[in-house]
Amino acid sequence: MLLLLANMFSLRLPIPLEKTLITSLPKTSTTYSAYSGMTRFQVCHRYLSNSITKRGTSVVAFQDEADGEIFVDEDFLEVDPLPVELQPELMPKHVAVIMDGNGRWAKMKGLPTSAGHVAGTQSFKRIVKLCYGWGIKVLTVFAFSMDNWIRPKVETEFLLNLFERSILSQVEECKRKGIQISVIGDTSKLPKSLKSMIANAEETTKENPKFQLILAVSYSGKYDVVQACKSVAKKVQDGLLHLEEINENIIEKELETNCTEFPYPDLLIRTSGELRVSNFLLWQLAYTEFFFNQKLWPDFGKDEFVEALSSFQNRQRRYGGRH
Amino acid sequence: MDFRDGAHNLYHIIVASLHIGKLRYLAVVIESEEAHQTSKVIKLLQWLDSVGVKNVCLYDMNGVLKKSKDTIFQIMKNAKSIEEVNEDVTHHAPDHMTLEFVSYVDGKEAVAKAANLIFVENFKRHDIGGELDHQILLESHLNQALQIVGCKGPEPDLLLVYGPVRSHLGFPPWRIRYTEIVHMGSLNFMRYGSLIKAIYNFTKVRHNYGT
Repeated sequence: MLLLLANMFSLRLPIPLEKTLITSLPKTSTTYSAYSGMTRFQVCHRYLSNSITKRGTSVVAFQDEADGEIFVDEDFLEVDPLPVELQPELMPKHVAVIMDGNGRWAKMKGLPTSAGHVAGTQSFKRIVKLCYGWGIKVLTVFAFSMDNWIRPKVETEFLLNLFERSILSQVEECKRKGIQISVIGDTSKLPKSLKSMIANAEETTKENPKFQLILAVSYSGKYDVVQACKSVAKKVQDGLLHLEEINENIIEKELETNCTEFPYPDLLIRTSGELRVSNFLLWQLAYTEFFFNQKLWPDFGKDEFVEALSSFQNRQRRYGGRH
Repeated sequence: MDFRDGAHNLYHIIVASLHIGKLRYLAVVIESEEAHQTSKVIKLLQWLDSVGVKNVCLYDMNGVLKKSKDTIFQIMKNAKSIEEVNEDVTHHAPDHMTLEFVSYVDGKEAVAKAANLIFVENFKRHDIGGELDHQILLESHLNQALQIVGCKGPEPDLLLVYGPVRSHLGFPPWRIRYTEIVHMGSLNFMRYGSLIKAIYNFTKVRHNYGT
């Protein structure tokens, strides 16, 4: 259950729309500016690129606020428009995912486990792209559980090495796209080089984020609560807090998910048919809507994600938001 | 023999084949509005008793079920409160039901109380010359402290949610690491067959914990 960030986005800077039919670009979504001085929006239209005509394609375009020049973000040439069954105002702000089933997927196909992780990477890429394009603010993925340390050392070392190389290759591009990378979990057990890589990635991508990707690595919900309590104890020791002031709200503020403006997932998706949270975000999931899907993670695609979002939105319409 | 007889017989067969021993502790989460329907809650408990589920934790956020405790014990005469049972409930002989009543205050608030207890003890030790070490707080210490503040119940194997929302509504987070969570729909429409199915499916599942 470890994500691979390799080739998450093959990123280049936006290109000028020299051969397009775009004449006016209605603003369908204007949120943060991924690039300084530019407004981002998403449109559905037909455009020509060399000899290729794409019909009904949704693109992410940027308009320079100074001179009005328009650029297309080539990596989002194929951004899926929001399906008609989903309402933008009812999108969850924070989605959490337990990406389960890579190993079983590989076994079913007679492939090595590593092939399952590679396939799982594609699903991960898809989900990140869809969340980014559909206005979800935070995506938290359970990349490596503290419980996974019981796996053979050879396997865990291989996975963490892969993870490190993946972060290294993607950091600058995430920065350009306004994707903030945050890592939560007990990093004390991680190799020194990976710890350093994580610190660098977090520092590099922290400015002007429009989307936050939280990777839970060597994480457990109980660990999170314990470390929060330790932080509180330190504050008491340092005279910043009195014992009488300690309550659940004080503890909540010290959880590792305080790295985001939206620490409580609205929706948790778990694949492969398992019906447990497996020590993930225990404190934070009190009012989270659960969506358990039978598909193995490498097979979890847009349709399944739409189903999860649709289910979430239907319940929101009927019963309102969290308590 | 009509359809209902057939269904009833089928349920008997399924119940007889259940490996009910795998379900050592069951939690039932009920949305607080629906929890006011005490008669339905009792019916659910009677179904569980008949199937052989003896250890049940009843939770609703607002403590409605706690208020219905006396009424429930009046009807469920063979049931005992978890406070009355001294031994580990998951190992006691199945001649009676053990019921635990839990609400929101037994969750996050209890963890805060437990943490506070540890801090107070730690600072006391420091005052009498002991070492003050905020790092002393470990998971095992919180486990012990939670027992002291009254949160004795074990981690449920299975958690059934009755209500409109597929959420556990604040069930004590410290206790649901590997708990299977099944949404049963509204308590108003609870069905014996759905209950049996949920328990049957649980007893079939092979659990991989991190491997």
